[in-house]
Amino acid sequence: MAGSGAGFVPPSTADFNLPPIIGNNAYSTKPVFLVLLSVLVISAFFIAASRKALVVPSKLQFAGESIYAFVRNDIGEEIIGHEFMRFVPFLFTLFTFILTNNVFGIVPFLQFPSMSHVSFPYVLAVFSFVIFHAVGVKKQGLGKYLKGIAFMPGVPKAVYILLTPIEIATFFLVRPLTLSLRLFANMFAGHLLLLVFIMGGDHLIRGVIGLKLIAPFAFAFGIGMTFFEFMVQCLQAYIFTLLTALFIAGALSDEH
Amino acid sequence: MATGGEEGALWSIMGYLLSGLIIWGGIGAAVDHWLGTHFFLLIGLLLGGGASMYLVWLRFGRK
Amino acid sequence: MKGTLNLVGYGLSAIGPAIATGMIFAAYISGVARQPEARSVLQPIAFLGFALAEALALFGLVLAFVL
Repeated sequence: MAGSGAGFVPPSTADFNLPPIIGNNAYSTKPVFLVLLSVLVISAFFIAASRKALVVPSKLQFAGESIYAFVRNDIGEEIIGHEFMRFVPFLFTLFTFILTNNVFGIVPFLQFPSMSHVSFPYVLAVFSFVIFHAVGVKKQGLGKYLKGIAFMPGVPKAVYILLTPIEIATFFLVRPLTLSLRLFANMFAGHLLLLVFIMGGDHLIRGVIGLKLIAPFAFAFGIGMTFFEFMVQCLQAYIFTLLTALFIAGALSDEH
Repeated sequence: MATGGEEGALWSIMGYLLSGLIIWGGIGAAVDHWLGTHFFLLIGLLLGGGASMYLVWLRFGRK
Repeated sequence: MKGTLNLVGYGLSAIGPAIATGMIFAAYISGVARQPEARSVLQPIAFLGFALAEALALFGLVLAFVL
């Protein structure tokens, strides 16, 4: 046990700090290139899919159109309501961008979800934060919008001391923070999980004969977890877009 | 709002509870730090939890 | 490997709210499926039950970081 168990370094947060690719430039790490690549991939795919639009769609056109229809109908129209068309470009960009960057986590040779670096989800959350507050302010006016957030109707005046800080913290701090941290934590934990199984299996197969027999199970579990990760990645892209749409819908409706 | 409303309600319930605990628990921890006591954190957490439950009831429980 | 026992304790304490949330929504879904017009009556009750269960889980989360 001492001979085989020693020397295994469990994967940790240090595995996410990748060295720069070009020289010593701190901005040339793998996630940055993955984000740039994702922009190219998305643009190329949708340009190719919509270049020759036919009444009877080709397979590529059908794929592109069904993604677009999913975002427009199932997220946009269902949740935002009759004004949804203004927000579809933003929601669609958000969904395809997050989905592509998440799925990079299981594409062979790329194999790194760029959203597992927390700064990318932060930026996306800032975008949706600014947009849903701007929509609310534009629709209802600044004073009325802030009053609607901070003061719940139908409550005795003294209780506002207790409730108003919570309301303000929810809308301006917890919402963008949970939005970005949910995406980050899922991608981070998923990548770490895959690292544990694959690196652990790799270590087991170098061990004594008894451990070699266990190694295939570790690899099989790693492969199973890869499919599970694919599900999580799609789900997180959907949830991020869905919550952004829900925030926009909440800012548009003046019931609260 | 149809089915999407329920899902959104669940996430915003979680947000309310979390921010209630963070804000009032944070105030309690700050008072503790300032006075050198230990029980204001607990009071703040209970107050925040209660207040956010009340807020959830106001927004989703009544009518 | 480093870590703190607080997080193990939080993991154990999160089992209860997880089961509770599952049972609340199982009951809500089967209630709405049997009697769709009862949705407006059941929805606030389900949400409040969810909030109660979730409050315990979040208490555990905050205390795991604070203590």
